Amino acid sequence: MIDLLQTLGTGVLVGLVYALLGLCIVIIFKASEAFNFAIGEFLIIGSFLFYTLFFNETIPWYKALQLGALVFLFFSFILFYDKNFRLRIALPMGLAAGLLIFCIFFYGLKFPALFASPILRFVIAFPLGLLAAGLVGAMIERVTIKPLLGRSPISMTIVTLGLGFLLRASVQLIWGSHAYPFFLDLPDITLEIGELLFLSDPIWAGILSLLIFSMVIVFLFRTRWGLAIRATSEDQAKAMAFGINARFILLIVWGISALCIAVAGIMISNFGALQVGMGFVGLRALPVVLIGGMDSIGGALIGGILVGICEAAAGAYVEPLGLVGFKEVAPYLLLLIVLFIRPYGLFGTVRIERV
Amino acid sequence: MLAIENLRVVYHDVISVLNGVSLGVMEGEILIIIGANGAGKTTLLRAVSGMIDFYNGDIIEGDIKIEGTSIKGLDCTDIMKRYGVTYVMEDRPVFWYLTIEENLKAASFSRWDKQVRGDIEEVYEYFPVLGHLKNRKAGYASGGEQQMLAIGMALMTKPKILLLDEPSLGLAPLVTEELFDIIKRLNDSGITIVLVEQNAHAALNIGTRGYVFETGRIVLDGKAKELLENQDVREFYLGSGEKERKSYKDAKRYKRRKRWL
Repeated sequence: MIDLLQTLGTGVLVGLVYALLGLCIVIIFKASEAFNFAIGEFLIIGSFLFYTLFFNETIPWYKALQLGALVFLFFSFILFYDKNFRLRIALPMGLAAGLLIFCIFFYGLKFPALFASPILRFVIAFPLGLLAAGLVGAMIERVTIKPLLGRSPISMTIVTLGLGFLLRASVQLIWGSHAYPFFLDLPDITLEIGELLFLSDPIWAGILSLLIFSMVIVFLFRTRWGLAIRATSEDQAKAMAFGINARFILLIVWGISALCIAVAGIMISNFGALQVGMGFVGLRALPVVLIGGMDSIGGALIGGILVGICEAAAGAYVEPLGLVGFKEVAPYLLLLIVLFIRPYGLFGTVRIERV
Repeated sequence: MLAIENLRVVYHDVISVLNGVSLGVMEGEILIIIGANGAGKTTLLRAVSGMIDFYNGDIIEGDIKIEGTSIKGLDCTDIMKRYGVTYVMEDRPVFWYLTIEENLKAASFSRWDKQVRGDIEEVYEYFPVLGHLKNRKAGYASGGEQQMLAIGMALMTKPKILLLDEPSLGLAPLVTEELFDIIKRLNDSGITIVLVEQNAHAALNIGTRGYVFETGRIVLDGKAKELLENQDVREFYLGSGEKERKSYKDAKRYKRRKRWL
């Protein structure tokens, strides 16, 4: 009995992180009907950005210069679109942004020297890292996804497939493929009730994931921007006809999605070490969203928890029987069973049929 | 107010839909555009509202001007915000999975300010039935209610020119009549209206001027009352021309005359 409770608890905590991964896929799918296969690479990029800020990791000048130049080109390119912005604002802004990026990556932010306490350092570096991840997500959207607006969603999906390889190679070029030690040094909140033991790291992961998850939900359902996102996710053409700038909404959605993936990535890295090969964890979102239903946000939460429990249970009860590695496969078996019974997932939208 | 000069629009770089259309919309009028399917009426509205990019279309020649400034090639949200042109797409463009009130709020996204709440009440005054159903999902509303909601959403964007694309599509005659009364009231309150319709008789009855489109060209124009009387319009669009069969030769002559005019 204790065993079962322990397994369930661990599963739910990890499941919350998976739910966040699922949420990222779901909001992009709702907004553009495309599946983001580059989720694993977004996850690595987010984690590395946070790592750079938090651990004061610097990179050689020739790599930092490339990044700065890239950001400069991007910003001036985007601002060039608007005739009023041209030259007067676009070039200086681009230069400033490029220089900022170069300095951050070359000199580092010296957070460890500035803030002695690791908690304070985390509180400052966490939002900054997430913001950076969101910005990168938005940049990637601008360059690769925006030109495809109005085309078939399948072309966007294929673009994200290629994007995944490109991003993975870029990360490898900049940070190399060795493992980085990753230790957040958060306050110890290990929970011990009777014979139950929950470690500090998973609890932090669960809490932070749930926090971000609920923040995204509040954003979607309580603000006017969320309303615009929900409207756009139903029909881009209609939204544009009523003055909602669908292109900008898509940008915001990709930004939010990249931000959430970064949270999940940081939490998952905190369980072990950070390295490029970690990207495959992102594909754990696949069973999550398919079980929950591709277009249901609540479904992502339930699906994530189910996958987490399934994994923990497989690890605790099946693997000792000699089936080593079954833990990785179990969610996909669950997925198969769910899809046999409900092809649209557990909570796929009930489509409105007018009679 | 709105001037379209020799407009040519091509879809997917090959399908030519509008072949040189010129027309003018005067302030405070109801302009009726009628024509067969595929004549290019919807394309014209898409081009004016800037939605044409989204449908892979291109304006390859001509210009669209509002008060003398060209709006060709601008983004549709820009056109709506700066020039007050709102396009209500055909087939009831409402967001099915949002409630009716959320629909109205979503439509006011481009100009969010303190007055939105008051404007929603104003829309409920125009369409009392929407006020009763405000917490229902729009997808469960009837066709007439959805069309009213679509026009209400357009009102939330504070339009100066309203482009309506077949508001009577799939509605019962009585509902259509009610809808056209409301369109007339909107026009009286100072909104210029461009109305594309298949229901030519009802539309020409409330309109001030009208154009007849055929294969991407304007073949007839005039006062709405005159068009109602016109023999060709009566025969081809109202179905109430002279009943006796015309000779094939004459029909061809009509076509030829229109083409070279």
